[in-house]
Amino acid sequence: MSRFIATSAIRGAHGVVKQAEDMLKDALEKFGADVPVVFVDKEGVGSTYYLPVIYGYSGHKVEKLGDLTWPLEHAKSLLAPVPSDNLWLPYLGEIADAGVATFFAEEIIKGIEFVKGKQPEVHNGYKFNGPISDPQTRSWGIQLVDGSMPGFAAVIGAAKSNEVAVKIVRELQSKGQLVFLSSMSNGRSIVDQLLEEGVDLGYHTFTVPYGTDTESVVYAAGFASRAAFSFGNVKPGNWREMLLYNKFRCFAFALCLGPMDDLKWATGAGAITYGFPAICDTVVPNILPTGITKYEHVVSMPFDDIPGKDDMERAERLIQRCIEVRGIKIKIPKVDIPVAFGPAFEGEVVRRENLRAEAGGKGGTCFEWLAMKDMDKVQDGKIAIVGPNLDSFEEGVKMPLGIVVAVAGRKMQKDFEPVLERQIHHFINGAEGVQHIAQRDIAWLRFSKSAVDKGFGLKHLGVILHTNLHNDFGAIVDKVQITLYTELDKVEELRDQARGVYHERDARIAGMTDEAVDTYYSCTLCQSFAPNHVCVINPERTGLCGAYSWLDCRAAFEISPTGPNQPVPKGRCIDPVLGEWEGVNSFVYEHSNRNVERFTIYSLMDSPMTTCGCCECVMALIPEANGVMIVNRDDYSMTPCGMTFTTLMGTVGGGLQTPGMMGHAKLYVTSKKFIPVEGGIKRVVWLSKNVKEEFAEELKEVCEREGVPDLMDKIADGTVATTVEELLPFLEEKGHPALTMESII
Amino acid sequence: MAAVEVPTEKWTGKVHEVTLGGNGRKSVVVGGESTLPFLHFEGSLPHRPIIAIEVQDSEPKDWSPHLVGAWGDVLADPAAWAKKAVEYGADIIALSLKSAHPEEANTGADEARKNVDKVLSAVDIPLIIYGPGVAEKDNEVLVAASEVAKGQRVALGNCEEKNHRTIAATCIADGHVAIAHTPLEINLAKQLNILLCDVGLSPDSIIMDPDTGALGYGVEYTYSVIERLRIAALGGDSMAAMPMISPAGAESWRQKESRVAEGVPPSWGEHEERSLIWEEITASIVLNAGADIVVLRHPKTVEVIKATIDKLMSA
Repeated sequence: MSRFIATSAIRGAHGVVKQAEDMLKDALEKFGADVPVVFVDKEGVGSTYYLPVIYGYSGHKVEKLGDLTWPLEHAKSLLAPVPSDNLWLPYLGEIADAGVATFFAEEIIKGIEFVKGKQPEVHNGYKFNGPISDPQTRSWGIQLVDGSMPGFAAVIGAAKSNEVAVKIVRELQSKGQLVFLSSMSNGRSIVDQLLEEGVDLGYHTFTVPYGTDTESVVYAAGFASRAAFSFGNVKPGNWREMLLYNKFRCFAFALCLGPMDDLKWATGAGAITYGFPAICDTVVPNILPTGITKYEHVVSMPFDDIPGKDDMERAERLIQRCIEVRGIKIKIPKVDIPVAFGPAFEGEVVRRENLRAEAGGKGGTCFEWLAMKDMDKVQDGKIAIVGPNLDSFEEGVKMPLGIVVAVAGRKMQKDFEPVLERQIHHFINGAEGVQHIAQRDIAWLRFSKSAVDKGFGLKHLGVILHTNLHNDFGAIVDKVQITLYTELDKVEELRDQARGVYHERDARIAGMTDEAVDTYYSCTLCQSFAPNHVCVINPERTGLCGAYSWLDCRAAFEISPTGPNQPVPKGRCIDPVLGEWEGVNSFVYEHSNRNVERFTIYSLMDSPMTTCGCCECVMALIPEANGVMIVNRDDYSMTPCGMTFTTLMGTVGGGLQTPGMMGHAKLYVTSKKFIPVEGGIKRVVWLSKNVKEEFAEELKEVCEREGVPDLMDKIADGTVATTVEELLPFLEEKGHPALTMESII
Repeated sequence: MAAVEVPTEKWTGKVHEVTLGGNGRKSVVVGGESTLPFLHFEGSLPHRPIIAIEVQDSEPKDWSPHLVGAWGDVLADPAAWAKKAVEYGADIIALSLKSAHPEEANTGADEARKNVDKVLSAVDIPLIIYGPGVAEKDNEVLVAASEVAKGQRVALGNCEEKNHRTIAATCIADGHVAIAHTPLEINLAKQLNILLCDVGLSPDSIIMDPDTGALGYGVEYTYSVIERLRIAALGGDSMAAMPMISPAGAESWRQKESRVAEGVPPSWGEHEERSLIWEEITASIVLNAGADIVVLRHPKTVEVIKATIDKLMSA
């Protein structure tokens, strides 16, 4: 805690409480205790919440002047002595008390000014708004709660120049923030600055000029209190709930422009008791550790030191930092591109006749790379194109393209990079007239003539990614910046760097073992039709649909903590060979509607995992061959067990535990944890041809790893055997290892 | 004859009780069950299932001639329609602000306020208010409706995952109940309840609509989801323990068996009778699965279902 700030705040509180005391004494003498005290806005519309800050903190109702005596006495009782020069560790609690005392005093002062007819303030002939009316609080309050309005900014003081003032307000508005304006710096108020520039202020533009004094900041706190009463069910007097509600639900902050004084610090201390941090554009001490507020308390960002080519860019960065400090999540209502956007266009193909330009594909150079960076290294929404744009390339030509996405977020993790990067395919494909295939350094994009004619350019790839990453992954991503490279040498250079990263990621995933983690993840997405089925996903076995890896689930849990992917703590190990854990068993029991009591993740024969209906493959025991067969969904042929995929699916699906039969993903065949209890890949006597072909290279490696390099030649498929009678002679002729392994049953 | 001992289950959970109306208006309470539907010998069923009759804010254009015939002129006036519904035995009115649908008259907040006010003044039983079912418009008209009905404890629907914050906020602010609608999935239903409680809505201000889905697919889906939610609730899962509502009327009247009069096999029977049977059967199925409120359309169905509930509750 900063001693400087503590001293100023406590001194400021003493000053304002004294002022309130003097004013109240004087007013009581002049007007008597029974004169009513009512807050109204400039239209005369009021509030039923008395003086809302005092009411919220204490439950005390102020209806007439005499009712102000108790709040004043309470404020006085909260004042600690100003720290002496030899006290080095002022206590945070004293600052918070000073903040509350300040808000009380400020509300008392405003109440008295209303009695005197001096509120809402008139300054240079301009009538300020005064406190926001109840109907307006309700209307904005709902938007604050439902997230369509992320929060509010209490702007205090005056900006460096009129232009900066306008830019700051525009930036805040563009982020959907409500803007409250109060106080002065060096004799200037931001309201003066905005009015001089002809900015329209009022409820209709989401800007509320409160007053030119610092005391009027208390109206912002009153607005927060009333939103908490209405929408948070916070009971008057329950200050703790008031803080928690505002801290976690009302994304507000103070932006202090210009030099700070004692009263501003004291008012800032009051804001902190609501969980609202302060960002100052001057040199002040930082209070960075998390405590009352969600993240930092006070952040100094001296305006002229902000990197940027001019004041406009500096103002933009200042607001970006505010958004970050408060942890505000930006939602962008629409993907702003000149062509239509939506899932309907995902399968669209751009044919040669309609091709304007393409990147990647055979003989092309194209890659996409999403990397996590530090917060201050990413400028949200920035889209840069390095090299010529789409329209500079000749028609039908193959252009080099590198899509580099930098993301930052408080909850972002390095492991989520590939999860997000894979979304690039899905996002870009949503644009009408743009086709995207594959990923990483084999990505292939095609742009149609009609899309380019409508004005679609490379910038719009950035817009698509920026918008969708925020909207779909806002829980883990706070900032997204995109750079598109189209010069061959640069693209090649970066692609080589990206390849290094792909390689590292693959190595990390390959090295990610079941033993290395203490938590698996569940997937209950399919319980709509298989009510008792629970997938448990471990690093070495993806979900049986092939769509969810352990990392995907972990990211999905971060994004939607109440969603279908929940952490499953392994708990005590019951049997390391079978892969049975107490934690897994109890999770599965509870989430299978108490149907599946135990299940193992390494065995086909002993309590195998259940199957919903989405599995890519079904594995089934062939007792005669002492092994297993695996048939894939795309393989329509008859299989040696006498059932086609569809028939097998009917037997194994629906959440049933069927020893000897199990659904799984194609990729599972290559896992080191492929039915280890039964002997792994050596047990496979029959495998759908398309899987053999699709995973030819991977399977070759697996067979070498398992010491049976020629195994693939010994495994039958639909072309050589569709009955056991055909299968057995084939296996014997090839000398399949399963025939001599110990009995599987 | 030898005495047979009926085996009973010892449930640990109980369905939340939700009150609608009050404050000068008649009130109804739903929920509170500590056993599966109508198993009086096993546990307590403190409140009988109730019947809501659907009233639309503008004259329905696509309704079956058999519905139009049964209601007559009142269809043009929501207040008169609601009064008539009370005569026919409605426990509550389900007012649907259909005219706000962009493909209908695309009316806004003002029209919603006017119609809600009209119906509130016309009858003294509680209200359910449904938006047109388009998220943006739902938010607009339901927030307005909520304000007009402040203090009357109405139910607002549908509240879905995408607009749950708005509906929850307005329910908290005005003291209403949210109808949490999810597409035929027990986990999604629970998840929405959790999300609503996270926003600050209390569990006794939530009614679930676990969806009737496509009846043509087979009503067993619906039956199973309702039943499983109820079993989870009785098993002690408080986030599955909200009372349930089913729009059985609207769902059955949009099935082809109810819509198509001609060119169908003779074995389907007479059109009006067939339509009524669909509505009656759908309603009695969801009641037997565990629904606490059924929203119906035809006065005849109301009569039949009322009698059914009487019998089931008299055991």
